[in-house]
Amino acid sequence: MAATPMPLEARNIKKRFGDTEVLKGLSLQAHKGDVITLIGASGSGKSTFLRCMNLLEQPDEGDLLMHGEEIRFKQTRRGREPADWKQVVRMRAKLSMVFQGFNLWAHMTLLENIIEAPVHVLGKPKKEAIEQAHALLERVGLSARANAYPAQMSGGQQQRGAIARALAMDPEVMLFDEPTSALDPELVGDVLKVMRDLAAEGRTMVVVTHEMSFARDVSSQVIYLHQGLIEEAGPPKDVLTNPSSPRLQQFLAPKY
Amino acid sequence: MELMTWFTELLEGNLIFTPQTLSYYWDGLVTTTQLVFLSLLAGLVLAVPLAIGRSSRHRWISLPIYAYTYVFRGTPLLIQLYIIYYGVVFVDGIQESIFWPLLREAFYPALIAFTLNTAAYTTEIFRGAIKATARGEIEAARAYGMSQSLMMRRIILPSAFRRALPAYGNEVIFMLHASAIASVVTLMDLTGAARFVYARFYAPFEAFLFVAAIYLCLTFAILYFFRFLEKRLLAHLKPA
Repeated sequence: MAATPMPLEARNIKKRFGDTEVLKGLSLQAHKGDVITLIGASGSGKSTFLRCMNLLEQPDEGDLLMHGEEIRFKQTRRGREPADWKQVVRMRAKLSMVFQGFNLWAHMTLLENIIEAPVHVLGKPKKEAIEQAHALLERVGLSARANAYPAQMSGGQQQRGAIARALAMDPEVMLFDEPTSALDPELVGDVLKVMRDLAAEGRTMVVVTHEMSFARDVSSQVIYLHQGLIEEAGPPKDVLTNPSSPRLQQFLAPKY
Repeated sequence: MELMTWFTELLEGNLIFTPQTLSYYWDGLVTTTQLVFLSLLAGLVLAVPLAIGRSSRHRWISLPIYAYTYVFRGTPLLIQLYIIYYGVVFVDGIQESIFWPLLREAFYPALIAFTLNTAAYTTEIFRGAIKATARGEIEAARAYGMSQSLMMRRIILPSAFRRALPAYGNEVIFMLHASAIASVVTLMDLTGAARFVYARFYAPFEAFLFVAAIYLCLTFAILYFFRFLEKRLLAHLKPA
């Protein structure tokens, strides 16, 4: 059946914080070139779901597979943990994440931020990494800011820099956690444009977003989450233009 | 040569500041500088691993280190110096050991006391800076596949050291001034020299104001050095 294994698959992910069950069994299949957007009200679990995919949060139940390779877990006193952290490190190196708060390393210049993980995690020669970084900076329109520190850049520049940092890992899947939510409205466009270009070139992406136009125009699949469950999922033209669930209809309805 | 004649003319008729007493001050300056520099250096080397251990979530690592810093920050440096200087003689077998020729002199017990004291303070300064590392930066490091040790080496420590710099500069000045108490265990440091000159001529103002001026100059040099470091290493915190 599966000719080429999927870059990323999550099966029946469950997660609770204390007494609250935030994820009640979520699954997702990212095929090569898929752009999957996760939408939903705040508290619906979409960010937690994304963070479970690279194990920034440990799912209490469920399986994660990369290219068909299953991440192994073990039970400890503290709960469920990965059995082999080397496997996790290897997996994370193939999944780059772009954060809502950018999370660039403040004591490094933008260029240093971009080459950091390729050089020290992937073991890439520094010279090669620097050349690649300059090419990436040009792509995201930040060639002039290579030697700037994050505090010296605007939010939009920082986020585009963070996307360049993510691209420098040659990731198989890119995870975006509300990448435009912390930005001033006039800066959102530049970041979305970079993301649209990435989608157009066939990058596999999983995006948590509130940008409905991005979800409608770019994604191959939209997943609407409600209280830790998938309420509706499918191609954007079905889910966003003809939502069947009343909750989603209400979620999409103009607010004013 | 011209400087020499200018100098002797300056001192002519001065009963207190003779070339002889000035050489006491000079030797004192050398002793103080050595003592402070070496104890700070050793304290720094000790403090880095201690601060990492102090930040550990394993209590059997962090608690003993906390006990150490608590004791050394909770008792006067003078008492620590007394215990080490006077107490070391009573350690069994110490007088037969190879360390005795060193420990017999005042300099090395003082160096040990000062090192342990500054290491305790520096550990707590670094620990605070490590704890203040932005959560998002740590999360990014984990998400990009860094192991715990790589993250410590590349992200947490470099950013913590920069944050700790202003507080550490204060600790250096504090150690310089605290080193004055080395003179009570017969060490001829700057203060020791000043006390000697005072006792000899019964001239408190000359003897102590002069040494105070030397301490001021040293403090100024330290301040300037740290301001230079901060300018270079904290550039990333300043908006363009």
